[in-house]
Amino acid sequence: MSCNWREKVELFVDDELQPADQQEVSSHLSGCAECTATVAEQLALKKSVRVAANRYSAPPDLHAAVYRQLHPHARVSPWWKWGMSAVCALLLFTLGYALWPRSSGKDPFVAELVDQHVIALSSPNPVDVVSEDRHTVKPWFQGKIPFTFTPPEVTGTNYKLVGGKLAFAQHNPGAELLYTAGQHKVSLFIFQECAVKQVPGGGSTFNVKSWSENGLQYYLVTDASDAETTQLISLWKDANRS
Amino acid sequence: MSGLNQKDFEKLALPLLDPLYNFARWMCSDADEARDLVQETFAKALKGLSSFREGTNFRAWMFRILRNTFLTSRTGLERRNTVQESEEGFDDSVVTHDTPELALVRRADTELVQQAITQLPEGFQEVLILADLEELKYQEIADALDIPIGTVMSRLARARGLLRQKIVQMLQTKTISNAGRKIVGAKS
Repeated sequence: MSCNWREKVELFVDDELQPADQQEVSSHLSGCAECTATVAEQLALKKSVRVAANRYSAPPDLHAAVYRQLHPHARVSPWWKWGMSAVCALLLFTLGYALWPRSSGKDPFVAELVDQHVIALSSPNPVDVVSEDRHTVKPWFQGKIPFTFTPPEVTGTNYKLVGGKLAFAQHNPGAELLYTAGQHKVSLFIFQECAVKQVPGGGSTFNVKSWSENGLQYYLVTDASDAETTQLISLWKDANRS
Repeated sequence: MSGLNQKDFEKLALPLLDPLYNFARWMCSDADEARDLVQETFAKALKGLSSFREGTNFRAWMFRILRNTFLTSRTGLERRNTVQESEEGFDDSVVTHDTPELALVRRADTELVQQAITQLPEGFQEVLILADLEELKYQEIADALDIPIGTVMSRLARARGLLRQKIVQMLQTKTISNAGRKIVGAKS
């Protein structure tokens, strides 16, 4: 590159310039084809590195090990653990039995989502990314699912973001975001619209709402009433409307 | 001095588990070692929470602890000399900064770019990952790796130049071997 702006152009690509310099380089780029080509190439290279370098995910047992490390006193007696496991298994079995005939007959996709919501209700670690901050939760999904979405700001509402985790339904990857609405838990699932063949019509004892926006299909599963979830649905619709 | 308590720490640190493990795996190239390194990093960070300065980047602080922990491990100690040697023996003239190869870079698939990153000298690899994947600022990278900011900039420029060159070379080799296969296929 013969242009003597080269060093500044590299800083420009890394967003390391002061606003005035950033502006100056922007103006230069509009008249210099050589620098514009360099910027485009460097951005493409950065993007390739970002995707390729994000190669490894922490194994699930490492998550558990770090959690145990942070809560060394949280260990409970084996009797209590066995007792609680038996109660949870019984609860899951009862709920599964109660839900299965009604939901599976209607839409197996929604039945799977309801099951995942029930698992989240009974799990001590219902999410893999624990954060109330949507700016932490959203980037966590980057590179893990083949689409993106915008979680709305819920500060000042009755809802609180708990976190998120990957969801799979009928071999399709999706996102599950868990909220609390007062004492209730709300799971919000997002899948690609093309992955969902049937539009659900509810049919379980849980309240299931569904809508689609820009090629994505959203599902809300909760035991809270319609009145308690209407605002969350409209916040999501507003945040993802193009 | 930080005003963070354990609850704040968990909220900030747990979402970093995957990025830290990813970085550790690139450095260690052994899953068990990377696992131990991340666990030790969490233990050290929690113990030294009071040394975190509020207003600074928590992410960069965690990466710094991970990197320092790595350097005191056996693999890390072995590597210290290698990094120095690879940097001293590095010939800048072999790197092409001058020919934008946008079309070629775009043609490179993820696996090929991963191979190219693996072939970079280790000191370059970590700067590249912290800048392009973790999106740390130059100063934060300098703090995390305990090197001057000028070294960050020069390593980054060299890493990118070298990476670009490796991608181009690998794509050319791939094209030639594909063409060779086609000719053999046509003859048979």
